[in-house]
Amino acid sequence: MTTRTGEWHADPALLSRYLAGDLDAVTGASVEQHVSRCETCRATVGRLLEPQLLERTWAGIRDGVERPTPPYPMRVARRLGLPEPTAVLLASAASLRGAWLVGAFLSLSFATLAAYASGGTALAPFLLAAPLAPVLGVAAAYGPRQDSLEALIVTAPYGRTRLILLRTLAVLVSVLPVTALLGLAVPGPAWLAAAWLGPALALVPVLLALAGFVGPRFAATVVSLVWSGVVLGATWAPLAPTWPVEAAQQGVYVGLAVAACAVIALRAGTDRQPGVAL
Amino acid sequence: MSTAPIVADAALVAAVADGDSGALRELYQRHGAWLHARLLRRCNDSEVVVEVVQDTFVVLWKDARRFRQDGEVGAWLWGIAFRRMVSRLRSRRDVVLIPEWDVLPTLQQVMPSAEDQVLLGVEYGDLAAGLRRLSPEFRSVVQAVVLDGLTTKEAGRLLGVRENTVKTRLHRAKAQLRATLTEPQEGWR
Amino acid sequence: MSVPTSTVELAGVGKRYGRTRALVDVDLAFDRGVTGLLGPNGAGKTTLLRIVATSIAADSGEVRLLGRDPHRSHADVTTVRRELGYLPQELGYPSDMTAFGFVEYVAVLKEWNDRERRSQEVRRVLEAVGLADQAPVRIRRLSGGQRRRVGLAQALLGDPKLVVLDEPTAGLDPAQRADLRRTLSALGHRSTVLLSIHQTEDVAALCERVVVLAGGTVRFDGAVTDLVATAVGRVWLADEPGDDALVSWRTGTGRHHVVGGRPPAGADPAEPTLEDAYLLMLGPDAQRVHTPS
Repeated sequence: MTTRTGEWHADPALLSRYLAGDLDAVTGASVEQHVSRCETCRATVGRLLEPQLLERTWAGIRDGVERPTPPYPMRVARRLGLPEPTAVLLASAASLRGAWLVGAFLSLSFATLAAYASGGTALAPFLLAAPLAPVLGVAAAYGPRQDSLEALIVTAPYGRTRLILLRTLAVLVSVLPVTALLGLAVPGPAWLAAAWLGPALALVPVLLALAGFVGPRFAATVVSLVWSGVVLGATWAPLAPTWPVEAAQQGVYVGLAVAACAVIALRAGTDRQPGVAL
Repeated sequence: MSTAPIVADAALVAAVADGDSGALRELYQRHGAWLHARLLRRCNDSEVVVEVVQDTFVVLWKDARRFRQDGEVGAWLWGIAFRRMVSRLRSRRDVVLIPEWDVLPTLQQVMPSAEDQVLLGVEYGDLAAGLRRLSPEFRSVVQAVVLDGLTTKEAGRLLGVRENTVKTRLHRAKAQLRATLTEPQEGWR
Repeated sequence: MSVPTSTVELAGVGKRYGRTRALVDVDLAFDRGVTGLLGPNGAGKTTLLRIVATSIAADSGEVRLLGRDPHRSHADVTTVRRELGYLPQELGYPSDMTAFGFVEYVAVLKEWNDRERRSQEVRRVLEAVGLADQAPVRIRRLSGGQRRRVGLAQALLGDPKLVVLDEPTAGLDPAQRADLRRTLSALGHRSTVLLSIHQTEDVAALCERVVVLAGGTVRFDGAVTDLVATAVGRVWLADEPGDDALVSWRTGTGRHHVVGGRPPAGADPAEPTLEDAYLLMLGPDAQRVHTPS
């Protein structure tokens, strides 16, 4: 088999035996030591292996480098049945990442803890955080740079409105249930556990309506400041800790939500951009 | 009749570090098959092997900058691949990770030619017989540390024993081998 | 019996931003082939392209795309968008995405829901712009010209019937421009391609037809050769610059290239270039678009 001094290559039959597992450990180990250092023999092995196996592995490699791993919450959602194209659209949303969700959860937990520890008198942190978590999440889901892909999103068949609603829904699904659970730990009357939903479900449409005029970041700032003003103002006044979510105020929130949706619907009717509502 | 490769492996890795996926493909052409083969010899689950090779090359894409230009690309890839497979299979006892040492060559099997045996045996020479006669627990540490290139700590994790145990066994394996070499060989013609 | 309609029909289209009139009474029709929009900054090229790409709505006049009125209903505009590829003038790229990931995202927006077919299409368009090897590279690591080509790739998804490109040559070197010309000319056989250009040499290289826009109005609409022909007899090579020339400059040979006005003494007529025609057409409105070597 030697062709030249110092240049020996393994017989293809020997390599086939290696691949079939027919060589004893020591001979096999010797073959390994040689082939690991010899590109000619590696090429021979390449010809001996099934091409489908090698192609299959390559397809997986290509996939792994072209599409970076989606964030953990996305992988969970996929396993729960989220359709694949939808996952692609949501993967770039900042607020659907593990880090963001963990941060939101921690903030809400601290707020709940404050309420619990104070026996129900220090409700302000919770009433502040619970509605703002979805608001900030929806704003953050608009994408890393507001105008970054805007022109392409507007002119695509999928539809900008649909994309924003999808992201809003995704944020609500990821944030609201956890908040609801934490709400159960807040001491006070039973209705308090869900009362924060009123402002939450009002502020999100308000954010969307406003964002259509001034963009999500500015709109989120405005909404956050106004809501903080309401909650902190009530604490300072001083009004009852539950004032911001009492029945009278809930009526206002319902009205706000309706008004915001009307604004959104009206904008859909104008010709500002063909087919764009938000 | 082998010709020098047009582009050296190390240069390809540098290209991958620069973001050239064509270079990645070329490296896969050169090393992918052998990685499969080596892994398959240790693990009979081809799904796992495919995943490990995929992971290895994805790691290569992401970490190509870390490769020290003076090293061997093949050895570097094997290090990544084997360690990955070990950690993936840590909990699975059903999968073989160490080649079977009790398979003795029989007449039905194709034996390497005498010349090949000599040339192959360059690695281990007279040690071959001695290695075959090692007790089982010594064989596994020799396989893991000497042949597969794990550190004693990693070998300990793989075999489920303490690192000190690995070192002791290695030491005693070497002693046994030395003793074998000085013994007269029985039935050795 | 249906009247054959052009892919793009604009009749009396106008658009204003505040008090500025970006487009005034534009009448144009486009069909298969490559048409270039040429004009100075602020001429309304981007506005026109955005209207055709359904990115914004016209204030007045009629717009028909692929035989439909995009303002009539959501269904109509969505049908148009299914056959549309658009490269905006300013495109931001989420820097964390890979080239493949970015084009894939747009592909999902264009309703490519089957993963396998989508992957193949994404690779096809990246290959078409010469970025096949860069598919897994993160966009922040790509050069400006490469990023622009990624943008071009997404506009080619699905071989759309209507392709709108706003300044596709920005950041491309001459070799890449040559590649672009090949891609566009192949595209022009099947689709209506509309692009804006700011360099006259690109016009001749890339387009068969050219529309000159200035101040929101159409100054010329026809074949490139016809545009050049309008300058015949009005361009000279002379020893001195003309007194009332529109513009003149010193060439490498020492003589002066004189455009417009009366020919100076001892002038020889010169072969007009596209830029000469463009300058003559726009008169004082024109901005210099070509720096003589």
